[in-house]
Amino acid sequence: MSQAHDKNSRSGNDNPVEYWRSLRHRKMDPAYREMLEREFPEGITEKPLNLNRRSFLTLMGASLALAGLASCRRPEEKIVPYVSRPEGVIPGTVQKYATSMPFGTEFFTLLVHSREGRPVHVSGNDANPLTGRSSNVWANASILDLYDPDRSQFVLNNGAESSVAAFADAWKALAEKHAVDKGTGLTVLSGSFASPTLHRLRREFLDRYPSARWIAYEPVDDENIRRGMETAFGRNVQPVYDFSRADVILAIDADFLGTESRSLANARSFAGRRHVVKETDGMNRLYVVESSLTQTTTMADHRLVMPASRMFDFLLAVAGELRGMGLSIPAESVTPNIPETGKKWVEAVASDLVRAGKSALVLAGRKQPPHVHALAAAINQALGNTGSTVTYKAPPFTLASDSGEFVSLVRDMKAGAVKTLVVLNTNPVYAAPADLDVRAAMEAVETVIQLSSHVDETSPFAAWHVPRHHYLESWGDVGGMDECIGVIQPLIAPLYQGMSVVELAGLLATGSMQKGYDLVRETWKSFLPPSSFEKKWEKVLHDGLLRHEVRKEMVQLDAAAVRSLLADTKPKVPSLSPRNLEIVFQPSLAVFDGRFANNGWLQEFPDPVTKLTWDNAAVMSPGTAEALGLENNDLVRLSYGGREIALPVWIMPGQADFSIGVTLGYGRQFAGRIGSNVGGNAYRLRTYAKPFIDTGLKLSSSLGKHELACVQDHHGLDTEKIAREGIRRRLPQLIREATLDEYRRKPDFVDEIAETPDLQSMWDDHVYDEGNQWGMAIDLNACIGCGACTIACQSENNVPIVGREQVLNGREMHWIRVDRYFHGEVENPAVRVQPVGCMQCEMAPCEQVCPVGATSHDEEGLNTMAYNRCIGTRYCSNNCPYKVRRFNFFNYTKDLPEIVQMAQNPDVTVRFRGVMEKCTYCVQRIQREKIAAKREDRELRDGDIRPACEETCPTRAIVFGNILDPNSRVTQWKRRSRDYALLGEFNLRPRTTYLARLTNPNPELTGKGNET
Amino acid sequence: MWWVLFGFASSGTLILLGSLGWLVWEGTGVWGLNNPVGWGWAIVNFVFWVGIGHAGTLISAILFLLRQKWRTSINRFAEAMTIVAVICAGIFPGFHVGRFWVAYYLAPVPNQMGVWPNFRSPLLWDVFAVGTYFTVSLMFWYVGMVPDLATLRDRAKTKIRRLVFGFLSLGWRGGNRQWQHYEVAYLLLAGLATPLVLSVHSVVSTDFATSLLPGWHTTIFPPYFVAGAIFSGFGMVLTLTLIARKVYGLENIITIGHLEKMNKIILVTGSMVGYAYIMEFFISWYSGNIYEVFTFVNRAFGNYAWAYWIMMTCNVITPQFFWFKRVRRSVPMMFVLSIFVNIGMWFERFVITVTSLSRDFLPSSWDYYAPTLWDILTFVGSFGLFFTLFLLFLRFLPAIAMSEVKGVLPQADPHRSDGPAQSEEAVIEGAAP
Repeated sequence: MSQAHDKNSRSGNDNPVEYWRSLRHRKMDPAYREMLEREFPEGITEKPLNLNRRSFLTLMGASLALAGLASCRRPEEKIVPYVSRPEGVIPGTVQKYATSMPFGTEFFTLLVHSREGRPVHVSGNDANPLTGRSSNVWANASILDLYDPDRSQFVLNNGAESSVAAFADAWKALAEKHAVDKGTGLTVLSGSFASPTLHRLRREFLDRYPSARWIAYEPVDDENIRRGMETAFGRNVQPVYDFSRADVILAIDADFLGTESRSLANARSFAGRRHVVKETDGMNRLYVVESSLTQTTTMADHRLVMPASRMFDFLLAVAGELRGMGLSIPAESVTPNIPETGKKWVEAVASDLVRAGKSALVLAGRKQPPHVHALAAAINQALGNTGSTVTYKAPPFTLASDSGEFVSLVRDMKAGAVKTLVVLNTNPVYAAPADLDVRAAMEAVETVIQLSSHVDETSPFAAWHVPRHHYLESWGDVGGMDECIGVIQPLIAPLYQGMSVVELAGLLATGSMQKGYDLVRETWKSFLPPSSFEKKWEKVLHDGLLRHEVRKEMVQLDAAAVRSLLADTKPKVPSLSPRNLEIVFQPSLAVFDGRFANNGWLQEFPDPVTKLTWDNAAVMSPGTAEALGLENNDLVRLSYGGREIALPVWIMPGQADFSIGVTLGYGRQFAGRIGSNVGGNAYRLRTYAKPFIDTGLKLSSSLGKHELACVQDHHGLDTEKIAREGIRRRLPQLIREATLDEYRRKPDFVDEIAETPDLQSMWDDHVYDEGNQWGMAIDLNACIGCGACTIACQSENNVPIVGREQVLNGREMHWIRVDRYFHGEVENPAVRVQPVGCMQCEMAPCEQVCPVGATSHDEEGLNTMAYNRCIGTRYCSNNCPYKVRRFNFFNYTKDLPEIVQMAQNPDVTVRFRGVMEKCTYCVQRIQREKIAAKREDRELRDGDIRPACEETCPTRAIVFGNILDPNSRVTQWKRRSRDYALLGEFNLRPRTTYLARLTNPNPELTGKGNET
Repeated sequence: MWWVLFGFASSGTLILLGSLGWLVWEGTGVWGLNNPVGWGWAIVNFVFWVGIGHAGTLISAILFLLRQKWRTSINRFAEAMTIVAVICAGIFPGFHVGRFWVAYYLAPVPNQMGVWPNFRSPLLWDVFAVGTYFTVSLMFWYVGMVPDLATLRDRAKTKIRRLVFGFLSLGWRGGNRQWQHYEVAYLLLAGLATPLVLSVHSVVSTDFATSLLPGWHTTIFPPYFVAGAIFSGFGMVLTLTLIARKVYGLENIITIGHLEKMNKIILVTGSMVGYAYIMEFFISWYSGNIYEVFTFVNRAFGNYAWAYWIMMTCNVITPQFFWFKRVRRSVPMMFVLSIFVNIGMWFERFVITVTSLSRDFLPSSWDYYAPTLWDILTFVGSFGLFFTLFLLFLRFLPAIAMSEVKGVLPQADPHRSDGPAQSEEAVIEGAAP
């Protein structure tokens, strides 16, 4: 058994210590302090896996064999190295296969780049009309999860190593027992899903065991929205927003570009309305009302700060205003209890919405309670945008999380009514609300069977733990409200023993072991015509998906129900104070609900807004911090509902006063070497009645310090006045922006922002006037700062992670980072983002100063690095005005477990310590496409080469291409009047330029205090 | 006494070796460097030591050419200090690179791949400038020492000493012709060394001045660095001289008058440095460039203001005390002030190197740099090496240029009469009676 496994199962058998419950214990215990302070990966030097050369080759052989059989054919599950090369496998080339990544009731359709049978990179599947080539941070980082050395590798029976066959036998015995009692006391608790096959198997399971239950629980889901729609329309429908048609958007606590569901599709369609090509083009307008800065804030034209618990008041005020304008909304008119600025805001928003009519959209976030959603739906109905910007669909193939059923399940478990519990791909012991006491309930269950990728918090309670295969190793399918259904097909034979979700569901439903492939194929027989099934099926496997329109439901507003719901929920205005704070739980943009906690890329992924890595925090406004006498990094105790956790303080501008934002997904006990004990577990405060927003939180005074690893200084807030002033003065030059009106009046406004002197060079200029001259343009008006580029780049270019301590030391390695700036008032600033990678300056300051010529230009205008030549003087980095160069202060990859090395891109050198590295415009992709074009005896086409950042960008804000080609997209972008070079006045001639940001404020609101 | 000092110093050397070993073993990350601040204490120390190494050649060569005879009492001393300081300086750029074992790439070694160093890079200029300076200083020092080495040979009590000094003294016999050749060679070397005094630190300053960084990118750097180097060099010579003078009882040879002259130079160069500081500020404001303006305001009032004000106090205010003759001639006072000068000049380099890097163009990359234990130990260790080598010099080589001092003694004056005895001091100073 491997070391890592030993470690996991050992700790799994221990009585789990609840680190975050007893604060006194935390404070006293030096070991605990040490754990908190320790450089991240405990035992990063441990060799986790006994993967010797022989087994590695076996594995490789297996992968190659699999790849050779291309995913569009039935994979042979024999592990043999091939003697003769399988058709279609050319060593050294990238092969792309289509598959899908399930994500709750959502999914991402992907193309996975495979190298000699190893999946190494993912990008979006452009056959999907909604998301195209785009993918997001989570999909990009999922590659690393596949090669996670801490993944569970053995079936465990009460902690002892066992086998899948033994488990299947054990299940047969249980199944026989339950066949007699018709499944009484048999329950399946799964994560939510949207999958035709799982849906079918669940039905078969329930048919087989009529008294059994199969419910889903997810800590973060759209249940509030569903409940709201049930009230409004009396039906189980979900709203689907079409931002491409929306001119005016009012987002109520809805981070629809970030943590809400379908954010990838949202980002793409939203940003589609921000690609302003010429002065006559229009642009959407976004109003945001929220309690803290979110991903969506970056795009807001107007933002109102308000505690999350008061959103209903605000929406009622809007409804009242709209009623006043003659719209019929079934809500009592109330005197809006919102601040003065808010009133003006309400008026302006309401009239803007009415003007937009069918092109208006009001949406509320999943954190808001059902009545807010019902009211939002009523407003949308009244605006007449149903069928245009919002449609309603009954989600097919979906099992959504249902907290009511979950609560009753837990009650039954405690009562001993549950004999057999199958926990499928969810982690209730970690993520369930604290007041349910799931641990006690789990202990009361006779037999717990768990399918999960890791030995996690739930595992100690499971008689049988079955490792779950990664989606890149398994068959399955997905299908929800998007316009397609997709297959999940394996790219690699399973690295460890275990089962896929579909296989286990198949065992539950049929009583026998069936191959995932057979189960999925069986399901798809209903989607494809039997006559040409084989042909169509092959095409589906090739494309990865099938267009599948979900019927739009015609909905009728149940005005009476809405009215009575709203009457029930009289707006209560909680008066927040230092002794009565609001607590808002939100999923992380890095580790989401905790499922990605052991993914180093995501732990080190800077939150797009706070820029924190490796930790969560109690986020508060400067005003709150002052009132409570707290500073950044102060460790405080959060007491709420009789429970306590400790978190460090992080002060953010734009946060509502006396509202504390807490990120879920951290504080895992058994996540693995990366994710265990990182941050604090906010689930330990959560209640099932108020899972997202509540008041009554109290904060202690500072208990000490815990330094948060932020990749940007928190300057702008608590730095000296000098620095603040310095930033304020240069910001307009760095991120140039204008309102849409200013832009129309003065299309070349960018040139007037910074004075560019007559530029002359000391050297004879090199003329780059032939062949391919690579360049890039980034549209700041489309970029939402999500950071998908950062992770895609990390995956493509083997960028190492460095750990919390090194991030604290300012040594993070990301080749493309997203800079975040605030401007405006501290109470409600505008957030601006700017992706910055190497600009490939023609007059590169780095090249001139390198004493050994390790960095120099190639004939295509790339600023290249010769790692072998680099001696590491770091002078290039000092002289780089963009500070995009990254130095290997230590040998970050030396102790990389062999299995993790499989995630590395073989086309990109893994850098040794002591050398400098940086963005290369993905030179390996450039070369690959050039070779391909040469072999096919053709010219390179624009778009053949897409660097990882461009490929993944959810908003298509990045284009790359040949700047000498007058028809290339990049040339066209650079010709736009908004194009400017960052720090261009220094005669660097960067090949990457930016298109200036535009805002579209409402002229009625451009008074003081509201414009963002 | 010597053994005690040597014990301390050699322990320091061990610390240096240990911390350099750890650095090479573990990686540059053991220092406090981070992404914006790619150069920290190592480069600060390098410039500091090179600066100290300036006074030696200045005293030997320039003052020799200018016939400043008072230099004879301290020139050997100062030259030795130069050599040792440059050795200390050389360690830092050598070891601060990420891959120490390939640092030889800096040398223009012909190779079959035709790869040469980048002659545009000031770091390469540095390699040549410091290398040349070291070589010429060593030659100058050694050539000047030949007559004295011969004296030591002649007075050697053991065979080993006689052999070693015999070898080193190159068969010096003190013949007239030898003296003639010697004088010419010495004069030529002085002439050769003189431009180096100006060139070395000018070149070192181009490490900063040719870059793009606000606060580095200034044309005033070469003269300002040279003035600063002389200032710091004299500070260090003064410190060492005062100790050696006390320990070895050289009060009659290194007289208070000599010391006063050194203080005058400190006053002048200190004022030049102060002028440069103010001029930098003025130019940054006058440029109207927001990045430049910010950098200087940030130096004075930003995150490293403490370092800036240490620098200002030590370098600009301290030397002004030397306007007073009483201070110039007070050994305790000048000792304290010379220490301040040393501290101030180290901080000058720190302020220049670190503050500019810490906050440059894009605020997103701004970060604070703080040294680690290993930064500090390496610096402390470099003092260990400095004193180790210096103490070895004091022990084994003639610390005072005997032949030169003899040459300016009253007894050496062919026209010396036995009239009223002049004060020795007046004669050595070359003051006409």
